[in-house]
Amino acid sequence: MRTIILLQLQRLRREPGLILSMFAMTFGFVFLIGGFGGGERIDVPIYFDASVNVEKQALLLDELNESDSFSFTETEPSTAKKQVALGDIPYAVKAMDSNYQMLIATDNLNQMLVDNYVHQIYANELRIQEVEAGVNDPDFRDKVDRYLANGPIALTSVTSEGGSGGFDLQKQSLFGMTLFFSIYTIIFSLGKLAEEKRTGTWNRVILSPVSKWQVYLGHLSYAFMIGFLQILVVFIFFNYVFNYDIGSNFPAVIVTVACFTFSIVALGMLMLGLVKSLEQLNALVPIVSVSMAMLGGAYWPMEAVSNQVILAISKLLPITYGMEALKDIAIYDQGILSLAEPLSIMILFGVLCMGIGINLIERKV
Amino acid sequence: MLETTNLRKTFKKQVAVDDVNLYLEKGEAVGLLGPNGAGKSTTISMMSSLIKPTMGDVTWHGKSIVEDPSVIRLHLGVVPQEIALYKELTAHENLKFFGKIYGLKGKKLENEIAHVLEMVGLTERKNDLVKNYSGGMQRRINIAVALLHEPEVIIMDEPTVGIDPQSRNYILEMVRRLNHEKGMTVLYTSHYMEEVERLCDRIYIMDNGRIIASGTKQELTSILSSEETILIELDRPYPELTLELEKIEEVLRVVETDKGMKLIVPKNSRLLGKVFRVADKHKAQMVSVNVQVPTLEDVFLHLTGRKLRD
Ligand SMILES: Nc1ncnc2c1ncn2[C@@H]1O[C@H](COP(=O)(O)OP(=O)(O)OP(=O)(O)O)[C@@H](O)[C@H]1O
Ligand SMILES: [Mg+2]
Repeated sequence: MRTIILLQLQRLRREPGLILSMFAMTFGFVFLIGGFGGGERIDVPIYFDASVNVEKQALLLDELNESDSFSFTETEPSTAKKQVALGDIPYAVKAMDSNYQMLIATDNLNQMLVDNYVHQIYANELRIQEVEAGVNDPDFRDKVDRYLANGPIALTSVTSEGGSGGFDLQKQSLFGMTLFFSIYTIIFSLGKLAEEKRTGTWNRVILSPVSKWQVYLGHLSYAFMIGFLQILVVFIFFNYVFNYDIGSNFPAVIVTVACFTFSIVALGMLMLGLVKSLEQLNALVPIVSVSMAMLGGAYWPMEAVSNQVILAISKLLPITYGMEALKDIAIYDQGILSLAEPLSIMILFGVLCMGIGINLIERKV
Repeated sequence: MLETTNLRKTFKKQVAVDDVNLYLEKGEAVGLLGPNGAGKSTTISMMSSLIKPTMGDVTWHGKSIVEDPSVIRLHLGVVPQEIALYKELTAHENLKFFGKIYGLKGKKLENEIAHVLEMVGLTERKNDLVKNYSGGMQRRINIAVALLHEPEVIIMDEPTVGIDPQSRNYILEMVRRLNHEKGMTVLYTSHYMEEVERLCDRIYIMDNGRIIASGTKQELTSILSSEETILIELDRPYPELTLELEKIEEVLRVVETDKGMKLIVPKNSRLLGKVFRVADKHKAQMVSVNVQVPTLEDVFLHLTGRKLRD
């Protein structure tokens, strides 16, 4: 097994182009989406309807700007309208007393996120107002604010569920793009197995005294190793060099990445079992990885998705759980124990795919 | 020592190998001859434990390798029909890897590598990438890999396909030496009659998955001992001529060749007169006419009605 891993590494050293380009792509896309260093926020122009008094305007603006992800700046209604109409800015928010509107120039992923977020703030506000009207206590508002500020942890997480903390562009792009490109690396590394079957070196190795499962294990370990290292190296780089925050629980990150990599290696085996040729595999990899990334929340957060069908499909994809676990670690500082569910689902997925995959491959003589 | 009994392999509905019985004795060089798709490679795959037969058995010193492939693995070298090498690595790196998976290491491994490189005459080029080799050189390394662990038997699947005559000669001479000087048992597969004639003590002829004849070269050609071959060269093809010649009672077989046609007829049948008359009737221009003793190629022709190579 070791001999086979070493051989594949030796081959990689001769032709490292593919893996290096995957690294480059990961870096490029994370930067493109997540931006360089520091917390870059999404700019949102906002203007107020006449129904909102000045005092309330300031309060609302403060509240909206509490999130790390968005930066709301007040503009003149006329300029905002004109700029949106001309397409200079993609969207603007019109804030009214108990409601809001979004002016939209083009469909934009951020616009969905902004909408979601503002909606959350307004909904909270309305709920408090409703209760306020009911209790008839002039100090109620202050009490709630105080309570929210110092209250039990459970309450803080109410706001973060769909709002402020739940979305972080940097983490989203780092985790999403890294996992996405690692799928290519892993499955193409595994593709060496299919390539060897075609060139005949596979048969040669099988004819040697080395047992078949050792040969499989060699290929699987190689693909696992390459994928695992790629993800970790990217994470470490962004965490330490570019100040992206992947959380402080590094062991949990490692375990999550290992589970994810395993599930993708297994998925690769299943794909190898299903395709008839290396060409088919090469054609299938982008299709599978792109659609998985789209449906599983690697391109945009699942919080921005409301389509029930997509949500249902996402529950079947390992990348959904990989993203979920990594965000839980980085944003909510969760430990391994509370990640038991996503991690075990990824492992289960892996075991299933691996079993079916190897069976299909072996049946093909 | 290596023997197949009633070997059969079917892919889906297609029968690739059908009821094949053959054996190799120690020190023999045996040829397996047959046209494309005859089932040679499939037979070899089963004999080397790579694929499981649908029916029948393969035994190594009496032990079934279908049940336990490990009994033969260390003693067998296989040269596959395709060039099964890591082309982005050097010859030396390839040899080193394949040596290692056969359990060789350290000094012994390096000695073996040097030895086989010497044998295939590529010592000087050992640090070149295989993909930069010529076809003939790749073929030679392909063979070298199978010799590393000093197997008792070597099975070669068309090791000279698609290479220049010089490399081909080199390889044939090498196989002959392995067989004669080292006493290695050889199963040599080919669709080149001359190669098999030159190298092999015994020959099996295979067609459509079956062994249709076997024996020494003398035994096989004696199948046609009472026949002779008339080789006619024509200035261009005359399709009607074939039909007409087949109508001559004594003619056993007529086959169109690249340049004309070939007739198998009983010895001393004095048919030339009739042949000339038929040709004349069709205004066919004969360039040359030869009467020959039958070759193995003719035996194949006689048995199947087809040429060995299309
Ligand atoms: N894996 C397979 N699946 C289906 N059919 C196969 C397979 N391998 C071989 N065959 C078929 O079995 C028959 C025998 O093939 P085989 O490769 O053994 O012939 P061969 O004598 O080695 O021919 P060649 O001289 O072209 O190498 C062919 O008709 C081929 O199409
Ligand atoms: Mg063949």
